Amino acid sequence: MRDRPIRDRSDESPDDRSTTDPAGTDRGQADRADRADRLSALVPRLKGICGDDGVITDRARRRTYESDGLTYHAEVPGVVVLPTTAEQVAEVLGLCSAEGVPFVPRGAGTGLSAGALPRTDGVLVTTSRMRRVVEVDPDNECAVVQPGVANLDITRAAAPYGYYYAPDPSSQQVCSVGGNIAENSGGAHCLKYGFTVNHVLGLQIATPQGELVRLGGKAPEAPGYDLIGAFIGSEGTLGIATEATVRLVRTPQKVTTLLAAFTGMDAGGEAVSSVVAEGVLPAAVEMMDALSIAAAEAAVACDYPEGAGAVLIVELDGPAADVDADAAMVRRLCERAGAFEIREASGAAERARIWKGRKSAFAAVGRISPAYIVQDGVVPRTALGEVLGDIARLSAESGIRVANVFHAGDGNLHPLVLFDDAEPGAGERAAEVSGAILDLCIRHGGSITGEHGVGVDKACSMPRMFTPEDLETMDLFRRAFDPAGVANPEKLLPTPRLCGEVPGVRKDVHPLVAQGRAEQF
Amino acid sequence: MTEGAESTQSTGGPESAENGAGTAERPFPDLLSDCVHCGFCLPTCPTYVLWGEEMDSPRGRIHLMGQAEEEGAFTDASVGHFDNCLGCLACVTACPSGVAYDALIETTRARVEEEHERPRAERLIRSAIFSLFPHRRRLELMRGPLRAYQASGLAGPLRSSGVLERVSPSVAAMERMAPPIKGKVPALPERVPAVGRRRAVVGMLTGCVQGAFFPQVNTATARVLASEGCEVVVPKGQGCCGALSSHSGRAEEAARFAERTVRTFEKEGVDAVVVNSAGCGGTMKHYGRVLREAGRPDDLVRRAEALSAKVVDLSEYLVALGPRAERRPLPVKAAYHDACHLSHGQGVTAQPRELLRAIPELEVADLPNPEICCGSAGVYNLLNPEPASDLGARKADDVASTKASLLIAGNPGCSLQIAATMRERGEEIAVAHTVQVLDASIRGLPPSALV
Amino acid sequence: MTGEDHQDLAAGQAAGPADTDRADGAAGPLAASGVPVRPGTDRDAVGGAVPRWVAAPADTKGCAAVAAAASREGLALVPRGAGTKTGWGAPPRRCDAVVDLSALNHVDHAAGDLVVEAGAGTPMKDLADVLGTSGQRLPVDPVVPGSTVGGVVATGLSGPGRMLYGPVRDLILGMTVVRADGVVSNSGGRVVKNVAGYDLGKLHTGALGTLGIITSVTFRLRPVPPAARVVSARADDPARARELVASVLRSHTAPTAIEADRPDGGAVTVHVLLEGPEEGIRARAEEVSALLPGSSVAEDLPDGWGALPGGPGDTLLKLTTPPARLPAVLDAVADAAPDTGPLPVRGSAGSGVLYGALPSATAPASAVRAVASLRARVEAVTGGHGSLTVLDAPPTVHGAGLDPWGTVLGLPLMRSIKQNLDPDGVLSPGRFAGGI
Repeated sequence: MRDRPIRDRSDESPDDRSTTDPAGTDRGQADRADRADRLSALVPRLKGICGDDGVITDRARRRTYESDGLTYHAEVPGVVVLPTTAEQVAEVLGLCSAEGVPFVPRGAGTGLSAGALPRTDGVLVTTSRMRRVVEVDPDNECAVVQPGVANLDITRAAAPYGYYYAPDPSSQQVCSVGGNIAENSGGAHCLKYGFTVNHVLGLQIATPQGELVRLGGKAPEAPGYDLIGAFIGSEGTLGIATEATVRLVRTPQKVTTLLAAFTGMDAGGEAVSSVVAEGVLPAAVEMMDALSIAAAEAAVACDYPEGAGAVLIVELDGPAADVDADAAMVRRLCERAGAFEIREASGAAERARIWKGRKSAFAAVGRISPAYIVQDGVVPRTALGEVLGDIARLSAESGIRVANVFHAGDGNLHPLVLFDDAEPGAGERAAEVSGAILDLCIRHGGSITGEHGVGVDKACSMPRMFTPEDLETMDLFRRAFDPAGVANPEKLLPTPRLCGEVPGVRKDVHPLVAQGRAEQF
Repeated sequence: MTEGAESTQSTGGPESAENGAGTAERPFPDLLSDCVHCGFCLPTCPTYVLWGEEMDSPRGRIHLMGQAEEEGAFTDASVGHFDNCLGCLACVTACPSGVAYDALIETTRARVEEEHERPRAERLIRSAIFSLFPHRRRLELMRGPLRAYQASGLAGPLRSSGVLERVSPSVAAMERMAPPIKGKVPALPERVPAVGRRRAVVGMLTGCVQGAFFPQVNTATARVLASEGCEVVVPKGQGCCGALSSHSGRAEEAARFAERTVRTFEKEGVDAVVVNSAGCGGTMKHYGRVLREAGRPDDLVRRAEALSAKVVDLSEYLVALGPRAERRPLPVKAAYHDACHLSHGQGVTAQPRELLRAIPELEVADLPNPEICCGSAGVYNLLNPEPASDLGARKADDVASTKASLLIAGNPGCSLQIAATMRERGEEIAVAHTVQVLDASIRGLPPSALV
Repeated sequence: MTGEDHQDLAAGQAAGPADTDRADGAAGPLAASGVPVRPGTDRDAVGGAVPRWVAAPADTKGCAAVAAAASREGLALVPRGAGTKTGWGAPPRRCDAVVDLSALNHVDHAAGDLVVEAGAGTPMKDLADVLGTSGQRLPVDPVVPGSTVGGVVATGLSGPGRMLYGPVRDLILGMTVVRADGVVSNSGGRVVKNVAGYDLGKLHTGALGTLGIITSVTFRLRPVPPAARVVSARADDPARARELVASVLRSHTAPTAIEADRPDGGAVTVHVLLEGPEEGIRARAEEVSALLPGSSVAEDLPDGWGALPGGPGDTLLKLTTPPARLPAVLDAVADAAPDTGPLPVRGSAGSGVLYGALPSATAPASAVRAVASLRARVEAVTGGHGSLTVLDAPPTVHGAGLDPWGTVLGLPLMRSIKQNLDPDGVLSPGRFAGGI
């Protein structure tokens, strides 16, 4: 995370965009100059829409937006706009479409796939000023919020009524609902409660062509295609959510968190398998290995049992009697798998103490390594043991340390690949190990991303998981929303410019491309 | 979320309390690189809460610091964003990576003052403020005229005329924030004996603003300490601790104040230096850094560090000491406000609450959004009156929502700011320092002594 | 991702029987697909129209070959599983061939991962049997008996369990679909957590086969709960029913389903289904029981649990509403067709999805009027949030000018998607909203 940007184009000023490419495809030099002019000409019109105060052109200011949570990728936005209403967002997008200027949506800028990586030849549309909780409607178990509202603020607003918003990405106090929608965010508790897509009843979106469209509302299952389902997780390539109606979930009667310490990962993994086999569905099942435990101890003194080669955190919630029954079962299963210490907490403060180490793990790794890469891959849960073994082998062979923190319940791995950025070539070797871990995930029938998204970071990995036909179909779908190709171009799907010649991409021309109704990536 | 689940999801700042550790010797760029750009600081930053702009967030300011480091110069734009920072350090509490934003912003401010040419009007107002505030005598000279002004009935018409706003928003802010001046409070003696068996000998900082405008807080502090068995030493030669200067990048001036404070207190051989003003305590705990940055010699830096190790907030000290004097009932509905330099700067949140909880019949509510600054922030409300007043208004809303009749805080600036904002809206609220409430309880005063 | 199925499609096409077989009248132009094709009969009718052919591919590849041939020849296709809901939606403008998917019957159960992949033609019952042997289930209620996996997904039909487990779309992890031009495309995956690429499975769920032919679906599963109870109570009127429902929603009993059943415009029966560990079930049932005066507690589901109201030939309505507007919608349905009396209505009171039925005896023109006026009223009483769609209606009612869809938000985007994925209108043209 502390590595230097590899795509840093921060030296380009808005008047010097000679190296940037047009959205989506490479149309050549003349076009680029043309686009630079178009962007400059756009500024007064953007000010007309968002007000002088809502348009940032000063270079130093723009630069603060050059990356999201994945600083590995950086590019200075051509111009930043801070709309305050849905109408302004739509007008800005419409203008971009009409002028062929790319736009990139951004919420709180906490994403970890460079999905909000700006473009020097484009407009960065930031929803950080649209952060009103419009309505909390406990009778209909929903809330209406603007896209810039922080995830946790929904829960704060709903708490007085005994409700909460279930998706809980670990950045929930800062990440925005709009960003959650773009990334289909989950969180530690998505094992039981699902992802953002399972919790959105209605959306208002600004389409790339500048129209405001309402989808769904406070009633479920609106007629027509499930555009809400398809929009959520589209990483800003289909437009910008300008308002969302989200489901609220009744606060559970009881929450119990268990911490079980094992001497090794195998025993921990066995405990997880037996919990699943017994039909218990915990709200969350998290695991940490010895290295990540050491990091967490160094950072927050979480006081996990000494000598633990793995800790398992299992959280159960629901009606008190159910939770107690399940907790007793989980305890038995952990003991049977060889847990040498089990702690159980039901009070808020005690539970927070158990979670402290897990929650701090990512940032804490900074205490034991000057630099690191956070990987996000998924394997079928039953393959976890084998994959962890493979990761350990990779680590041993390369001499690159890998700390493992993961959502064990759903097979979502977050290996932290540690390296010293001062050591020549270490970054490259770490990147190789990180890539090899992704290969392992694919080989085991998993996914290249469980929650961080594709963005720019993994766009070139998409062909490893999907066939050219799959990707082409996705592109056809994308073009239905964004025929001008201006919505967050070069994110989510691979492009030749980004990835070089994409191997295996169909060479024949799709009829829509031939008719000029779509562009092939 | 469930009451419990909520707490599992909010990463707290226990780790951040360690941020100061080991930062002293690390070079500035190294400290900068601790930031992983996660953005956890954004929702706790008052200016981000107000404006929703990256460059007015800690993450954005750190980026701007990086830019200045890279380019070797500050732009007007970036200086504006550094000036906008209240220095509340909420971001330090929120940061999971232990970024030493406190050190970063102080160093940056010092560099700005050294390297960046400010417009003339801005320079004038800054030097006016700094020729007044850190100097207790000068402040005390203001008491008379202020009292006369406040008694004259001129304040109302003058405020509504908007003349001051037109002349200078900063002057208008000063006028608005000026504390109501009560009659003369007798000066503290240099030594206050312990009541009963002596448990400790402590030094007490009287401070500049506290001393001039809130002498009753100092009196209460001495009385409470004495009641709890402390012999209180109030060195005569003390002045401003340097916090205001340090927070504003006036490194040399801050070092001078710090040096004097170190010399004054180290002579006294006290067990602890008790501070009742959050902003002062926060700076005094980092005297080593203040002196090192100003290029003072190592031996002085070490002496400063030794003194810093003895500095405690009053509430910290009293909780650690344990109560001895009897607390008498105080049937009041109060709200407690976390002063930033106490909660974020020193990690002191539990102790004041513990002290207050021990007072029979006192009902203490927490404010919503406790991590957000009230906008006072030292002299911030004088230099940046507009955001300060917006933040004051938000805080006033939060205070009003508790329906409390007394607002308790551990810092004089906060009380001034919030009380002034509420007064303007016609929602007068009584304010008191934590120690005044304790004092009233120990002395068995009626609630009317406070509200 | 279903492995071997999607590879080398182009090669497969080239190797298949070529245009030379066109002379074969029985198979017609679809003979080129190399898939068994027979002439259509009355029993294959879709929306009253008899298709000329019925193609029965054995796998995804065969399905792709049929689509490719149809696309080349400009034929319209309607995919079909067990044929239990072929009449749903509007009658297609054209139906040259039915694609019978019943041979796509396979189950690949990864029990340890709580995941299953099933062919579109797999009967839901068979799937349930396989999963049951491992103590697992796909928590989708058997709303229409005899349905296949593909049929349930293409209609997006969920039952009472949608309240806790979500509608069927929430349980889908991945999908393989044959595009109108015969290209096989996958989305999602086989793991429970995955955000790579667009989740096109959502788009195909409930799309009535107008965007692609679903050939296989991967679902997330749940363990079969050890114990269950149903607490049932009678409410004299819809307002009282809502009070009961709201009190259960506000409790901490975590029900799986809260159903309301109003068969004749009179009293409403409220059923609350609880599932979970044996140890807790009694206490939860007692708590719910205490909230519902006069309630009874049973261990088995009541007869007709989750079944749709009405009978053959009825016009089947789906109503959605914000849960708190339940009484107004129940009342609106009851008075929808004054000449035929109150309509039966039932569904998920907890989540706000109800089904009603206009009796088959209703004159087609009256049915059309009744639907229009009920729709207007539902939209009005739900502040525009609710909807009324006609899932199924006899051809005579469609012929009388029925609008099955009503207001559909985002219709231009939907048209644009259809245009991009099926520009020539090969797949069930006209069956979906807005003539899509």
